[in-house]
Amino acid sequence: MPEKNLEQTERFASMVAAKQGWVLNPDAEFTRSLEEGLNLNWNRYGYYLCPCRDTLGSRAADASVICPCAPSWKDVEETGQCYCALYLSPAFAASGDAPRSIPDRSGRD
Amino acid sequence: MLETLEYIDVPGSDSGHEITIYALSTCGFCKRALAYLDTKGFAYRYVYMDRLPLETKNAAKQVLKDRFKDSVAFPFAVIDGDKHLVGFIEPDWAATLGEAGSR
Repeated sequence: MPEKNLEQTERFASMVAAKQGWVLNPDAEFTRSLEEGLNLNWNRYGYYLCPCRDTLGSRAADASVICPCAPSWKDVEETGQCYCALYLSPAFAASGDAPRSIPDRSGRD
Repeated sequence: MLETLEYIDVPGSDSGHEITIYALSTCGFCKRALAYLDTKGFAYRYVYMDRLPLETKNAAKQVLKDRFKDSVAFPFAVIDGDKHLVGFIEPDWAATLGEAGSR
């Protein structure tokens, strides 16, 4: 699996947000650190493992938490943010409220 | 087995609590949590679980799960050996730790 650079991963995150009707977290430093995490995960695992979850050891075991993770649609819809707070609903972003840790609904634990 | 992990010690002006953070090097709220402890002056130690061998990490997670009867997500904080916090919600951390220097 060829390595990706940060620019490619930033493009990936922007495309996911645009496709889903979400926005990236406007906290640029926070978002960049998550994109760096995603980029590292691609380069060490070969897929965009959510930077806020740990690998269970294989792509198959991690399938539900490859970005955008399976719970992200419900999380954004109900709480305004994905688990990592990389993706926000436009309304939540406009509210100016700070995202916070939310329960992990991936059900892997 | 948790004591066999290689922790990074961070000194602070307030060592009134024994604080251990199990974190991921890639996670935003983990960074927020460590920055919170730094800003408040708490002494703590942390380990990046994603940098451990898979078997070691899984064993550590199992110990935490069994000890605290809770699911393990990150950051996972152990306070004074018997309390824990999952995730970073600043008011919860402030309530559990108290503000540095206020005790």
